[in-house]
Amino acid sequence: MTENILLKDNVAGIEGYFAGGGYKPLKKALGLKPADIIEEVKKSNLRGRGGAGFPAGLKWSFIPKDAQGERYLVCNADEGEPGTFKDRELMRRNPHAVIEGMAIAAYAIGSSHGYIYIRGEFAAEAEVLEAAIAAARSKGFIGKNILGSGFNFELFVHRGAGAYICGEETALLESLEGFKGQPRLKPPFPAIKGLFGRPTVMNNVETLAAVPAIIEKGGDWYAAIGSGKSAGTKLFCVSGAVKKPGVYELPLGVTFRDLLEKSCGGMKEGKILKAVIPGGSSTPVLTAEEAWGVKLDYESLAAAGSMLGSGGVIVIPEGECMVKLLQVLARFYHHESCGQCTPCREGCGWIEKLLNRLEEGRGSSADIDNIYAAGEAMMGRTICPLADAMAMPVMSFIKKFRPEFEAHARGETCAGRAAGK
Amino acid sequence: MPKLTIDGLSVEVPKGTSVLEAAQLLGIHIPRYCYHPKLTVAGNCRMCLVEIEKANKLLTACSTEALEGMVVRTTTEQVRKARRDVLEFLLINHPVDCPICDQAGECGLQDYYMDYSLRKSRFAQEDKIRRPKRRIVGQHLVLDNERCILCTRCVRFCAEVTKTHELDVMERSDGSFIDLKEGKTLDNGYSRNIADICPVGAFTSRDFRFKQRVWFLKRTPTVCLGCATGCLVEAQHNENVIYRLLPRPNAETNTWLCDYGCMTYKAVLAGDRLSKGVIKNGLIDLEPALREAASRIDEAKGAVAVLGSPWLSVEDNAALARLAKDAFKTENYCFDFEAVQGIKDGILINKDPAPNTRGARMVKEAHGGLSLAELSDRVATGKVKVVVTEARAAGLMKEVLKAAGTRLLVFATNKGEIPAQAYATLPYASYFETPGTFINYQGLRRVTAPAVQAPDAIKPLWEMVNKLAAYSGASLRLHSAEDAIKGIDIK
Repeated sequence: MTENILLKDNVAGIEGYFAGGGYKPLKKALGLKPADIIEEVKKSNLRGRGGAGFPAGLKWSFIPKDAQGERYLVCNADEGEPGTFKDRELMRRNPHAVIEGMAIAAYAIGSSHGYIYIRGEFAAEAEVLEAAIAAARSKGFIGKNILGSGFNFELFVHRGAGAYICGEETALLESLEGFKGQPRLKPPFPAIKGLFGRPTVMNNVETLAAVPAIIEKGGDWYAAIGSGKSAGTKLFCVSGAVKKPGVYELPLGVTFRDLLEKSCGGMKEGKILKAVIPGGSSTPVLTAEEAWGVKLDYESLAAAGSMLGSGGVIVIPEGECMVKLLQVLARFYHHESCGQCTPCREGCGWIEKLLNRLEEGRGSSADIDNIYAAGEAMMGRTICPLADAMAMPVMSFIKKFRPEFEAHARGETCAGRAAGK
Repeated sequence: MPKLTIDGLSVEVPKGTSVLEAAQLLGIHIPRYCYHPKLTVAGNCRMCLVEIEKANKLLTACSTEALEGMVVRTTTEQVRKARRDVLEFLLINHPVDCPICDQAGECGLQDYYMDYSLRKSRFAQEDKIRRPKRRIVGQHLVLDNERCILCTRCVRFCAEVTKTHELDVMERSDGSFIDLKEGKTLDNGYSRNIADICPVGAFTSRDFRFKQRVWFLKRTPTVCLGCATGCLVEAQHNENVIYRLLPRPNAETNTWLCDYGCMTYKAVLAGDRLSKGVIKNGLIDLEPALREAASRIDEAKGAVAVLGSPWLSVEDNAALARLAKDAFKTENYCFDFEAVQGIKDGILINKDPAPNTRGARMVKEAHGGLSLAELSDRVATGKVKVVVTEARAAGLMKEVLKAAGTRLLVFATNKGEIPAQAYATLPYASYFETPGTFINYQGLRRVTAPAVQAPDAIKPLWEMVNKLAAYSGASLRLHSAEDAIKGIDIK
């Protein structure tokens, strides 16, 4: 087993973080050229941990070299994907890794102002970060002339107000600027025109927290962890019918079976695996058969027809009603659609209503087709991926568990319910 | 200049042109709701999705820049399906109340449904989301939130054109609705344009609602005479009644039309419209009125003056000049008006409230005459006993006329225009009923076209002038408006 890079014990306080070698990477980074840091991160194959998996070093390199004036670094801590709770844990247990990662990233892209946009509900975590930033500032790691290098970096924590959509990069920027959180049209991309119209890099908490170790030990070291193009460790948040649900840091490419059996202690007593949502609620569901041997990394999950996403692994046991589950997801996405694009605004609500009819025994077989068709009509047709996030579970649930939907349409008690409850 | 191919046709466009605009240059219409050429791109309706080679999904034509070598397809089955899908989504919570909707006949939902969908809704009527209806949101508009498709054209209009920011989208998801921001009303002087740019029946005009089905309307391109801007408009009418004025967007002058301008047609059928003469306060048939006016002019024995009007066409001003020179044989006439011109509010409304200050000056150039100050001086010193002019122009020397007690004979279309001291008033056909040439503040020639016919008794002003001259014993031989402008160089 690889040693944990992110989730460590006794590093929450700055003294503990020091004891583990903390802030040494920052010192090292400040002695390097910004371009060399970006090169190192590129070499590490570190990819965005928020869900999209975009190479972090490449993202940093998109900031125009000749851009005059302010550039911003934003840490996306608006962790709202159902089934995902890794950033919360990371910020609680290792806040300085995030702060140090941000300071290094800021130096690399030439930014002197950073924001951590944290989900509104994470009040305690926001306090942890505030305290950690204050501690880092008192030691000279944040603020003016950091470690005598002449590099200035101010860092602010900004709490969201409770919208899932604000986890989307450009909606987050709108919200951070004080507007209603709605995704922007791209292009222009944030690297060109982001926060307050300035070049901006935004990374997920987990992505940034991996940066100090990469600087410390080198890109090649990090790239060697994991499997192939999926380098490094990943935080997997396992929820559902397992013995030990929680957040686990494992190298990418670990099999679902190992995650379930070795880390989580297997299925709960008497529960049989039925299905797995591998990367947060928006990723397509896998059947037990599909999930069992699959390697949890970007490429393998894509090949299996799903996504690594945020690493929110939801384990669904036999006995759970898939119609009911999809209804719960649909209610969430219906509630959280920003309402800007037609397909998402109207589609999410329509799907929820049709699922309500099925679940309440008022539905028909045609409704199942209509739900699927609505998902299809939403997929890839909107400004941001929220419509896809609704469509992917909808289409995969129906494709893989159609008999359960049909049973509902016929007014029968579904097989799942009969077996489980 | 990127060169691209759209539906097999190639086109070269200036850098920065969108795919939608490039298609337009080729005559290819890509359906849209939220896109408007004069507003920022919102990209929210998703109706303009097109296939672009090498893109892994459909892209919105409105927000995608046309690039060198791009290959765009707008008519494939994939594209048509996307349009059908968007229409179906839009109609999920739409009330489909076309029979009682004023937008019917010019509705984006109806039009594109006919073009792309034509299928039965798969959504149960009883599950629709209900929203506020028939809300009065200002002097000119009614808002029906159920019909709204949230394209945000109205929101952007108020933010970008009038910069008054009255509207916004409230709430989110399918609970979203357009509403006034707290403490705002929608009276920004241009609000009625929102009824035009609303692609559906959400915003309708309070003035026009339920007056006429749009498919009965005939259209006459003409000019707004509300000020010196001279916006191009379209008068829409049926059975000799004008129902509304809409802007005729053009590059030179106007995309929009101000709320004041769009209501100017009301004078045509207003209750105070004159079809007879007025002597003092009493209505009198036209011929006796003309006779009375002519007698008062005779009585003055040459102490008569004619004041042209920046509110009248070049033709009618020219006829008045002929009246002074050839019938009254007087040098007391003035077509020389000065006004500060230019856009007053940054949008359309001009500093000069009269539509033809520049046109009147062309008459002066051809016929000479006094300046307004010189004529006023002659009136003030009692050298003039009778002044013949147009009702609003009389206001330009109101104080002088009052002080000198000069007898005032005016031409007016509506009773409300008649100045208090007028002795006699003669009616004439408005420029919705007769053609006339105007020169706007930019020096552009603007010609009105008759949308409706004036009642039989009412003649164009040049014709009234011809009659008045005849009653005064002179023949001007004005048989047409063209006769009046002979010798005038209209630039």
